[in-house]
Amino acid sequence: MPLAHGEKLSTYRIEKLPNSHLLKVLGFRKGTQFTIQSKQPFKGPIVVKVGNRSIAIDYDIANEILVEEVTHN
Amino acid sequence: MSCHGAALQEKPSNDKMKILLMGNPNVGKSVVFSKLTGVHVDSSNYAGTTVDYTVGDINFGSKQGVLIDVPGTYSLEATNEAEKVAVSLLEEGADAVICVLDATHLERNLGLAFELKEYPIPVVYCLNLMDVAERHGIKIDAEKLSEELGSPVIPTIAIKNKGLRELMEMVVKLSKEEKDPEPRLDEQERWERIQEIVSRVQTKIDKKELTFIEKLEDWTVQPWPGIPIALLVLIASLGVVVGGGKALRAVVLLPLVKQVIVPFLTKIVSLIVPAGILRNVLVGEFGILVIGIEWPFALILPYVFLFYVVFSFLEDSGYLPRIGVLADGVLRRIGIQGGNIIPMMLGYGCAVPAILGTRAASTYKERIMVASLVSFAIPCASQSGAFFALLGDRSIFALIFVYLLSILAILAVGIVLNKIVPGRSQPLLLEVPNLLLPDKDAYKKKLKLRMKHFMMDAEGAMFFGIIIAAIIAETGVLNEFSKLLGPFVEGWLGLPREASLSLLLGIIRRELAVLPLLEMNLNTLQLTVGAIVALFYLPCLSVFGVLTKEFSLKTALFIGAITIVSAFFFGGLFNQIGSLIIGVIG
Repeated sequence: MPLAHGEKLSTYRIEKLPNSHLLKVLGFRKGTQFTIQSKQPFKGPIVVKVGNRSIAIDYDIANEILVEEVTHN
Repeated sequence: MSCHGAALQEKPSNDKMKILLMGNPNVGKSVVFSKLTGVHVDSSNYAGTTVDYTVGDINFGSKQGVLIDVPGTYSLEATNEAEKVAVSLLEEGADAVICVLDATHLERNLGLAFELKEYPIPVVYCLNLMDVAERHGIKIDAEKLSEELGSPVIPTIAIKNKGLRELMEMVVKLSKEEKDPEPRLDEQERWERIQEIVSRVQTKIDKKELTFIEKLEDWTVQPWPGIPIALLVLIASLGVVVGGGKALRAVVLLPLVKQVIVPFLTKIVSLIVPAGILRNVLVGEFGILVIGIEWPFALILPYVFLFYVVFSFLEDSGYLPRIGVLADGVLRRIGIQGGNIIPMMLGYGCAVPAILGTRAASTYKERIMVASLVSFAIPCASQSGAFFALLGDRSIFALIFVYLLSILAILAVGIVLNKIVPGRSQPLLLEVPNLLLPDKDAYKKKLKLRMKHFMMDAEGAMFFGIIIAAIIAETGVLNEFSKLLGPFVEGWLGLPREASLSLLLGIIRRELAVLPLLEMNLNTLQLTVGAIVALFYLPCLSVFGVLTKEFSLKTALFIGAITIVSAFFFGGLFNQIGSLIIGVIG
């Protein structure tokens, strides 16, 4: 499932992600777990929480990140 | 801003150290910088790039040197301009590197830490934000980490000055030593090694209870209540700038200027210079020494100063990127990503740093769009000051109308530019920094640097404009211009002939297009027309200069022509419609 379709407060694990240097250095790799902190209207960014840090991800990029649900809110 | 630097080019002498301060973005690096450096701090542009960095002097015991605040990077792979600058600075060589690590997010920070080991420069790791980590239930064994990294690790709480003395002692000690570069690990190896280290040195207790700051951090990235909070913050900021500026002006600055300084200067000039043109140019109604002191210092300075007070506070508190996240959905509609709202907001202070601030945007399309929007429709603090002086007392509705018009114009111009400017914008992907109370020293240094650049960039141009105004007005040249522009000014804009002066001066500085109208006893319609013309006018000569420097002369001329034509078109249109309505009602 694309991350863009995820739900607020649910936890996901990354299965597949685009090859982006910035995603990698921000801590996103295959297997990284995170919780969706907020979603914005008008296809705004998805904010996810990895560890203690919040990262905002553009909607189109979030569409290319495939995730598996770990826990549902 | 000085060029890539005199301070850097000179080879450090034997006892003058050159230290690089490095780290990921948002790890408190600039706080460490401001605590370690003295009063001589300046920002410079790294030659051939759009990246700025800050250099400051350090004195520790008998040792002296310079500390270079290298742009924050997540890695050293030279995939963007900031990383390229970081790599170049490392290759130029230094006596030591201070690498700031964020104790609340050790794993990600260790990537850069490992890459630094590949350089032949001694590294001291500054494990910062120890207090925040503790609040999050994270404990890190600094000694063990130091063994794993093979370099000293000093735990610090920079904002409270804790650990910085030990840090500098270690830097001085290591700067004398040689260091052999370590072989490069491949990505997978490095990643596995980092996870191994983190599991050995870090213990974490999950805690369920959120502190107020953590709750606020969460709220401010949610549409609800984040958007209402953002509106409240903006309204409160406006209140501080407008209300505070007005109070400062009325209570302190105007009486000081009008009752003390100007009469004093007038008296002195009258004693020395005989009555005539020269005396009028100096101390007449539009005299250089009258207007030249009143306008910049009493009308403009308080607003600009308070704007920077508020903006720098929001910036250092980590709040601004959150507005970027909330605005992204809407700004995407006009083809730019949310982060661009930060240079746009800076434009309400001054267009020059706002246009320079577009360097952070990664595509040309975003840069040119934000620069055009700022030039076209965002009034700067000087100009807002003039608007408040012009309309504030007369009609608060006219004032609100002018600002609503500004927002409408941003959206309209954005939609048009998105269609005609080729290329696309870089999608938003950013780490939202923690919210924190800004550090006093870092904040003061930033404010000082900003006011210094404003004085150099803006006050000079304004004074120059005022000298021209004084000569034009007091020598009778104005009458000639008025005759020439008169029919247009009177017929189309509905302003008195003398307003031609505003239009001429508006080219030099935008608020000068407004200020002369103050003295003309105009009705509300005329004042609003004047404000609209000024709103769309090219901000000032400095902006023309910076547009030429950052883009090209052609771009600057194009933006200049479009802004002036639309200023007259919309100002006149408003006058014609307004007169018609008043005619019908009356």
